[in-house]
Amino acid sequence: MDKTLENSFVELLEKHQNIVHKVCRLYTNNQDAHNDLFQEITIQLWKAYPKFRGDAKFSTWMYRVGLNTAITLYRKSKRTINTQAFDTVQFKIKAEEYDDTEEQQLKVLYKAVHQLNDIEKALVFLYLEDKNYSEISETLGISEVNARVKMNRVKTKLRTILNP
Amino acid sequence: MDELDILKKDWQRANNTHTPLTSKEIYPLMKKKSSSIVKTLFYISIGELLLWVLINSIPYFSSAEYRAKLEATYGDSGLITVITIISYTVILLFVYLLFKSHKSISVTDSAKKLMESIIKTRKVIKYYVIYNLAMAFISLTVGIYFAITHDPVLSQQVAQFGNKEMFVFTAFILVFFAVFIFVIWLFYRLIYGVLLRRLNRNYKELKKLEV
Repeated sequence: MDKTLENSFVELLEKHQNIVHKVCRLYTNNQDAHNDLFQEITIQLWKAYPKFRGDAKFSTWMYRVGLNTAITLYRKSKRTINTQAFDTVQFKIKAEEYDDTEEQQLKVLYKAVHQLNDIEKALVFLYLEDKNYSEISETLGISEVNARVKMNRVKTKLRTILNP
Repeated sequence: MDELDILKKDWQRANNTHTPLTSKEIYPLMKKKSSSIVKTLFYISIGELLLWVLINSIPYFSSAEYRAKLEATYGDSGLITVITIISYTVILLFVYLLFKSHKSISVTDSAKKLMESIIKTRKVIKYYVIYNLAMAFISLTVGIYFAITHDPVLSQQVAQFGNKEMFVFTAFILVFFAVFIFVIWLFYRLIYGVLLRRLNRNYKELKKLEV
């Protein structure tokens, strides 16, 4: 494999790796599973990279490959049954930065998002990443209207999870 | 402010919840083996092709006795040649279709399109299996028919069968076929069920949005 291609890929991934980490954060529950999914997304990105054309933004392209891997290609590792709740660990770290109530509220919110199904998570992810409905519809392959309708349903669902 | 907006605020603030990987750590990750369902599906399809080709050709090529018996039973009807030509043409056709549908799977498509390409590939394999089961069924039926009518020993035995014996004989063959096909069907349900459970669920979820 072309060494220059390899280097340019690694450089880009290193710069934008946060996108992949965020996908992993949403679709896995513990560090091992996170690492597994990160690895699979990296492999898929690398495999698809020779066909990557500069006309698309690398980050936009990463959202697509990352989500497709998480939703469709990735076979969940056995390690996902590991019970240590990932968000709890993160919240312990971040606890100092927030006041108690907000921290508590966010903790519940993240938990609620984890209860959504794969497609709903993808919608939430793109929404959180500030993508517009046209990008959301293109990434998922649904119409813009349906993306909006589904997003509203997800919001309602979250509200139901939060206030049963 | 709705719940998601509270989350969005935190999400965009929490940019570095993970220790970033260095380029040195990324290189080895790229070289690791993928465990994607497309790869598994690819191996299954290769396995399928080989398995049925072997099932069809091993008895013929490995046993001279079997070959002689076949030729004696079917004689010069040309049936075997026709069947062989047809079956190899069909195998080549399936190899081509599988290759084409595997090539069309692209991780950079939209989620829905990607799922559809994978489902299409799985269908090609499914049709290949159905074709082979149908061929197995036909060739066994034809085989039994020829054995009863042409095999000197068997045809004499069958000729002596009374109604009841004939009924038991036919019933036995039918049950044998049914069990054989059922076991294979179960086996495939298990393989593809486990492999594509998540994909099917997510695809349904996306399709549901269109109704």
